[in-house]
Amino acid sequence: MLVALGALTKSAQFPFHFWLPRAMAAPTPVSAYLHSATMVKAGVFLLARLWPVLAGTDAWMWTVGTAGLVTFVLGAYAAIFQHDLKGLLAYSTLSHLGLITLLLGLDSPFATVAAVFHIINHATFKASLFMAAGIIDHETGTRDLRRLSGLARAMPYTATLATVAAGAMAGVPLLNGFLSKEMFFAEALDVAGPAPLLDRALPYLATLAGMFSVAYSLRFILAVFFGPPPSGLPSAPHEPPRWMRVPVELLVLACVVVGVIPALTVGPLLDVAVHAILGERTPAYSLALWHGFNVPLLMSVVALGGGIALYFALRRLLARGVDGTAPLLPPVDGRRVFDAVLTTTTTRWPRAAERWLASRRLQPQLRWLVALALAAALAPALTRGLTAGAVADGALDVGLLLAWCVGGACAVGAAVQAKFHRLAALVLAGGAGLVTCITFVWFSAPDLALTQLVVEVVTTVLLLLGLRWLPKRMPFRATAAGARRALPRRLRDLAIAVGAGTGLAVLAYAVLTRPPAPTVADFYVERAYPEGGGTNVVNVILVDFRAFDTLGEITVLGAVAIAVYALLRRFRPAKESTEPPPQQLQQTAQDVHDDVLVPGVIMRAMFAPIAVFAAYLLVRGHNLPGGGFAAGIVFTIALILQYMAGGTRWFEERLRIRPVWLVGSGLALAAATGAGSWFFAHPFLTTHTAQVTLPLLGPLHLPSAFLFDLGVFLLVVGSTGLALIALAHQSVRAHRAEREP
Amino acid sequence: MNEIVVAAGIGVLAASGVWLLLRPRTFQVVLGLSLTSYAVNLFIFATGRLRTGAAPIVPPSAGANPAAYADPLPQALVLTAIVIGFATTALLLVVLLAARGLTGTDHVDGREPDA
Amino acid sequence: MIPPEHLVVVPVVLPLAAGAAMLMLDERRVGLKAGIALAAALALVVAAAALAVRVDADGTQVYRLGDWAAPFGIVLVADRLSALLVLLAAVLGLASLSFALARWHRAGPRFHALHQFLLMGVSGAFLTGDLFNLFVFFEVLLAASYALALHGSGVVRVMTSLHYIAVNVAASLVFLVGIALVYAVTGTLNIADVALRVPAVAAADRALLEAGAALLGVAFLVKAGLWPLCFWLPGTYAAASAPAAALFAVLTKVGVYAVLRVSQTAFGDGAGASAGFGAAWVAAGGLATLAFGTVGMLASQDLPRIVSYGLVASSGTLLAAVGLRDEALTGAALYYLVASTLAASAMFLIAELMERGRAPGAQILAVTAEWLGDAEDNEAPERDVGVSIPGTLAVLGLAFASAALVLAGLPPLAGFLGKFLLLDALLGRAAPDAASWTMLGLLLASGLAAIVAFGRTGIRRFWAAQDEGVPRVRVVEFVPVALLLVACAVLTAEAGGAMRFLQDTARTLHAPGGYVERVLEVP
Repeated sequence: MLVALGALTKSAQFPFHFWLPRAMAAPTPVSAYLHSATMVKAGVFLLARLWPVLAGTDAWMWTVGTAGLVTFVLGAYAAIFQHDLKGLLAYSTLSHLGLITLLLGLDSPFATVAAVFHIINHATFKASLFMAAGIIDHETGTRDLRRLSGLARAMPYTATLATVAAGAMAGVPLLNGFLSKEMFFAEALDVAGPAPLLDRALPYLATLAGMFSVAYSLRFILAVFFGPPPSGLPSAPHEPPRWMRVPVELLVLACVVVGVIPALTVGPLLDVAVHAILGERTPAYSLALWHGFNVPLLMSVVALGGGIALYFALRRLLARGVDGTAPLLPPVDGRRVFDAVLTTTTTRWPRAAERWLASRRLQPQLRWLVALALAAALAPALTRGLTAGAVADGALDVGLLLAWCVGGACAVGAAVQAKFHRLAALVLAGGAGLVTCITFVWFSAPDLALTQLVVEVVTTVLLLLGLRWLPKRMPFRATAAGARRALPRRLRDLAIAVGAGTGLAVLAYAVLTRPPAPTVADFYVERAYPEGGGTNVVNVILVDFRAFDTLGEITVLGAVAIAVYALLRRFRPAKESTEPPPQQLQQTAQDVHDDVLVPGVIMRAMFAPIAVFAAYLLVRGHNLPGGGFAAGIVFTIALILQYMAGGTRWFEERLRIRPVWLVGSGLALAAATGAGSWFFAHPFLTTHTAQVTLPLLGPLHLPSAFLFDLGVFLLVVGSTGLALIALAHQSVRAHRAEREP
Repeated sequence: MNEIVVAAGIGVLAASGVWLLLRPRTFQVVLGLSLTSYAVNLFIFATGRLRTGAAPIVPPSAGANPAAYADPLPQALVLTAIVIGFATTALLLVVLLAARGLTGTDHVDGREPDA
Repeated sequence: MIPPEHLVVVPVVLPLAAGAAMLMLDERRVGLKAGIALAAALALVVAAAALAVRVDADGTQVYRLGDWAAPFGIVLVADRLSALLVLLAAVLGLASLSFALARWHRAGPRFHALHQFLLMGVSGAFLTGDLFNLFVFFEVLLAASYALALHGSGVVRVMTSLHYIAVNVAASLVFLVGIALVYAVTGTLNIADVALRVPAVAAADRALLEAGAALLGVAFLVKAGLWPLCFWLPGTYAAASAPAAALFAVLTKVGVYAVLRVSQTAFGDGAGASAGFGAAWVAAGGLATLAFGTVGMLASQDLPRIVSYGLVASSGTLLAAVGLRDEALTGAALYYLVASTLAASAMFLIAELMERGRAPGAQILAVTAEWLGDAEDNEAPERDVGVSIPGTLAVLGLAFASAALVLAGLPPLAGFLGKFLLLDALLGRAAPDAASWTMLGLLLASGLAAIVAFGRTGIRRFWAAQDEGVPRVRVVEFVPVALLLVACAVLTAEAGGAMRFLQDTARTLHAPGGYVERVLEVP
């Protein structure tokens, strides 16, 4: 069905016929080729191809037949009223295509023969007419039928050719158009379709359309070539150059020859084509010129006479006509309708749908994500049933409970305060982080606690540096209406949040009360020292068992640091936040000096101890809590202290090593350590241990994992430092921007 | 009972975090992500079950008994997650600053809602 | 130089080493860095191709990192699917890099290193056999993609990136919860080991396991761009600089890959009570996504956005195919995946070239230039834009038409074959059900929508407005476009060989026993 629709569109059948007349603006040979030969025929060809498969069904007859009939009649009718030469031809093409389609839709083998025959005939006469129209356009500079007249005197040769072709189009005997039209009339008489009334009407409609086609053919010839000599043409007409005529001559010759001796010329070709479609069902048909006096002949005569009469009756009306709209037809501009339909279906509806289906705002996206995650986790719990595990609850640690009372309060407080009191919220969130930290210590995870703590510190410093540039939040001027409007939204968000929290808590409880499954972790505990060379199992996992994770993780850190650096190079603070804060305005340089003098000295002095501590963490990491990451962060904290003591400029002047280089070298060191094992014919990241005896310190157990950890350390210092420096540097830049506006 | 306390703690952290995540101001979103990541880190940690006084630091002799130590693997995972969370928080912070600088507002969509 | 048994790890280590080396070089040594980056990208393509050949000949390759056996250590597993996708990513990497070399790599600092890290993340995600390691590589590729999405800066990029980052960070948290649940129930992180343990999970624990799997699914589907989790995608990809967007075309495929790998391996037919878990939902979501992408293509005006929606539609197609769990369908979907990714990537590049001569593009550049006007910045993307070469418009038009044909699934290029194979597989299913017919209809509709959308843009650019001036394009910028399109053409010409490879891929995917045995070295 859809294919048939597509084919109908392609062959410009009603109601998809609008595009064809509009395509006539193309240069002549192109449109001749396009209209008469290939393009529209492609659709018809498709229908013809489908005929064996689909014909015979009622749906086929209804859609294809009806579309063809309507197009046939309406096209012919509209063609009469066209003022543009090519417009006339285009509508007549429409009509002929309708005829072919109708024939294909009639579901009789003989009609199909007629259809194929007409395809061939139409191609010859219509192409020659289009070329004639092109010649006229070329010679006179206009295609308006109201302005053209009497060209037969200037170009008799062209006139003759065009007249013959138009005769074929009208179905004048001795020309090919007559033959296929006869076949059609004969077929129209004995059709037996699903609707008797329509069958009865078909011969009349066919004759009517035949009249129309005679009328527009006549109009084409008479208006262009006969009548008074033309006046006011853009250029003086004369015969076209030789090479423009040749194709027309050939085609017209074909019309005549086929018309006179059909069986000898087009017979074999038609035979092949028809057999391709019909196969076994090919009927016996005759291509003779004279079938004797019968009804089809009568219909032809009526059509010829009627058409001539119709033309002369309409002649005055046509000459006066202002535009190419046929009377009695609703003045619907097909193209406008088509455009409107196209815009609506392919642009407006999708736009509306996009707006409805998607959102460019962030909050709905996050809401969807959380809601879907919640649903995803909930569904199995509901279908399978989730129960708490069998592990008996232990005693309650009051300390832990107290800590979590504080922690929970902090979290909720942070959630409430984050809008208006950012600093307070930050401190509260830090409190929640601290309780997390305590929990880690409580339940045997010193490494986690240490790392969480130092990360907490650096994150807070980063956020504090960032807070400076956010807009001042005015206290909420709540209007009652605004609050009411916001209420459903806030309630929904609250429900989602509480749902997510409850869900995660339930899952956690369900996990916690189940006995642990046999895990791969046992392997780690057993092998950490004998094979991994370290007593801190967590660290051994990080730098040995699962060192590949760590390698990825530090790459993340490095990439992020570069992103931060890149972004802040382009950073422009908003105007109102470049003003120094009021506190700073009240201070004098002397104040600042006095205020930070004592802490400054202490902070500067702290550098060396903290750096040593970092080194200690790094070295002992394999055996005790610590490791490259924690050490790197601690070292960064030492750097931060120098910043605070000396100020941004002081620090940047003394910064010797570029942090980006540190990032690169850290990554390179880690990767090189991993690749080093290739030289020992082991896979990537295989650890090797060397016993090094250092003076003073004695023997040292130095696995290659230590080098890897050193790479981690370098990278962490580099990237954290990079981010901090880039962020802190903004204050320098803001002041400079202020000075040189 | 400790299990209930920790589970409830995870729940409260997650709820606060998600609530902030759905708010319209960039700073709220950053803080929300950071609170949620605490909750998620604790959750991963919880899959190793809760053990007191069993830090996974083995004596330097062969044949440590796995049953005597807390599950070290979730701890290692959490460490990685903490680092990655730290990195993304830093990035988001800087992006929000850049957005603030470029658009003049701290709304997540770069313009104030037309209320 | 490197023994062949280490070939599996090369696609990860090579970009890492190249990226790290370039970080240690000074920013001003543009030429040297371009050389290193190009060499690394070329070497990556060669390595990936060698890996694919090796895997096809010798079967799945397992690489034990740190020499620890699975499931204790992390293993990289290169089967046909992984090797193919790594090769695809490497080709896109080479194309986007050579495109960037014309000028984009100077639009912001450290482009090359980030580009390498992104490739590293993608390769790692395709190769790893470990759930948590998959998370880590997701983060690597995300971190690098955040940075690349921001590359060039400007208001639009910063705002879309803010959304992109926020959504994906939240999704990563969901991912972590999923991993934690799977670990809590099965006690392992290795995908093959999980697959081995899933059938034996106690009934009481199954809810937890499936909740974990569902959460993993949500996290993967955010990356894959499932409706309604994909609203960030068109904006971010359309705003990103062309070479970045061209590489991003493969990122949604990482999500699809993860869904395919985890569901087929751990929740395939052998998963006991959890067999086929969530597949129906993935299929339904995929169909919705396909419809959404179709609508979005029609609703969009500018080319990058249309292509982005095209990616959404192709993600939907793939997810629906994955969800229907049919071997022939999977093979066809993989062919479609490769063809559509190549064409989408090429189209992002073509779009940039087309827009270059036009006012809106110029305005965007002007905005960028304004933000570039910092005293410390020495890079200038507008410098050296190149001269208009004769026939630019014709070549560009031809490239546009070819890429559009592939994306719309019209003959004669690979896109048609891909769609045709999908339709064929759909009709060939044992019992074509409602889902098959819906997918069939949606596939045809999305092809039509793609024709309309690309046709509209093409007419506007190449036909209607001759007076807008020819874009100034350098010859070298055509090279990557040509590379991608030639890859498409080769895929069409060698369809027989490709389909043989892909059907083998689908067969091993649908019978994951071999994968599990190979990884865990079960005799």
